[in-house]
Amino acid sequence: MAQVSMTVNGKPVTGEVEGRTLLVDFLRNGLGLTGTHVGCDTSQCGACVVHVDGRAVKSCTMLALEAEGAEVKTIEGMANPDGSLSVIQQAFQDHHGLQCGFCTPGMVMSAAALLAENPKPTEAEIRHYLDGNLCRCTGYHNIVKAILAASGQDVSIAAE
Amino acid sequence: MQELFRPRDLSEALAILAARSEVRPAAGCTDLFPATAAPALQGAHIDLTALEELSGISRTPEGFRVGAATTWREAIEADLPPAFEMLKEAAREVGSPQIQNAGTIGGNLCNASPAADGVPCLLALDAQVELASAEGRRMLPLGKFITGPRQTALGPGELLVAVHVPGEAARGASRFLKLGARRYLVISIAMVAVRLVVEEGRVASAAVAVGACSPVARRLEAVEAALVGAEATPALAARVRAADVAAALSPIDDVRADAGYRLEAAAVLVRRAVSELVTHAGECAA
Ligand SMILES: Cc1cc2nc3c(=O)[nH]c(=O)nc-3n(C[C@H](O)[C@H](O)[C@H](O)COP(=O)(O)OP(=O)(O)OC[C@H]3O[C@@H](n4cnc5c(N)ncnc54)[C@H](O)[C@@H]3O)c2cc1C
Ligand code: FES
Ligand code: FES
Repeated sequence: MAQVSMTVNGKPVTGEVEGRTLLVDFLRNGLGLTGTHVGCDTSQCGACVVHVDGRAVKSCTMLALEAEGAEVKTIEGMANPDGSLSVIQQAFQDHHGLQCGFCTPGMVMSAAALLAENPKPTEAEIRHYLDGNLCRCTGYHNIVKAILAASGQDVSIAAE
Repeated sequence: MQELFRPRDLSEALAILAARSEVRPAAGCTDLFPATAAPALQGAHIDLTALEELSGISRTPEGFRVGAATTWREAIEADLPPAFEMLKEAAREVGSPQIQNAGTIGGNLCNASPAADGVPCLLALDAQVELASAEGRRMLPLGKFITGPRQTALGPGELLVAVHVPGEAARGASRFLKLGARRYLVISIAMVAVRLVVEEGRVASAAVAVGACSPVARRLEAVEAALVGAEATPALAARVRAADVAAALSPIDDVRADAGYRLEAAAVLVRRAVSELVTHAGECAA
């Protein structure tokens, strides 16, 4: 076992992990932050996306010890300080960007990474950016609409 | 895996590998994890992501140095001449943004998949690899480093430290085109990297490499020879002969495509890349 320290959603945390422990397992089992999901465990589906030092990564594809000293942000850190939903989360709710919700934490984290680097993405740019996030329920359309709305753009530009 | 080493210093890393040759390098882990059948990595690993000497892209007196642990994302963001555009185009299509943020160029080369998108680009940049072990350092042309599917010239205790692109190869303009069964998150059926240097309206030098159509990605010398000296007009693409493309390649039939389709796709992609480059001929100037 080794000790690992990082900042998760603004709070310093320390834990004991094995060398093989994945970041997602440390978040879920070590810290009880179960909002980050595991869909495929093979780096494909994106249910496990978190931000490490501001960049979106698949936390099933990173060892906890590789995040030593890093700033990690998970879906639990997305709401506003008063507990209300962030603009992106609210837009997912308003535009029915989720059904079962399994993919949603990863979708929201990817959407946040996209809007941080490209605040007014086109519909095509949104679809391209989500190529590493799979959803089995929505058909993506309402997810794209939600992200357009969260970026302050008119959702009617998304082709029906 | 009970053990994970995370050295910050290359000499420390090489000492660990010298003492324990079974310890496997791990960088972005985007090839390692999906290739692990067990629920967790097995055996001891050494994480390379904290090694400063392996990170980032820099200019050197001889050209450019790409640290082995440079992520695809860092390559996309680097300020590089147009000769590197193909590498950036490949980087933008590796997996998804999250894979680009974690996966490294060195991992792509060391994993040595016939479908590794970085390989044709770096072949067309005449890349040399810098290898280090506790014994010392050596340089090898990339074409000699990847020796077969999933096989490299890495010796026991040796790490890929950097990829070097000579200044002479950092000239001209370049294009990367990849064909997959769908647009994104896809393993290449065929991919091509083409770099052209145009001087006074003629092709002064050409580098053409094709991946996923032979056990190891290859440069197509006969195709390059047919381009050099020719006028850089839209007619240039017609000089890419299907027979020259086919002679250099030995594609396989697999679930993704059969060999004949791959050959045809490779020729079409090379022609398309050439014609796109001459249409923007201004950018090809040295
Ligand atoms: C969903 C998904 C999509 C993908 N899409 C693509 C794609 O479109 N195109 C593509 O080419 N690849 C793709 N890949 C494969 C992979 O992302 C790339 O090959 C990546 O560049 C590998 O880098 P890494 O740092 O993650 O390697 P790792 O997984 O860390 O390592 C790979 C291998 O190289 C060895 N190694 C790594 N670095 C060194 C070093 N410096 N010295 C010695 N040995 C070393 C490791 O021991 C291991 O054997 C995809 C992977 C996933 C999961
Ligand atoms: S669980 Fe990480 S990508 Fe699916
Ligand atoms: S809402 Fe069910 S998987 Fe996306």
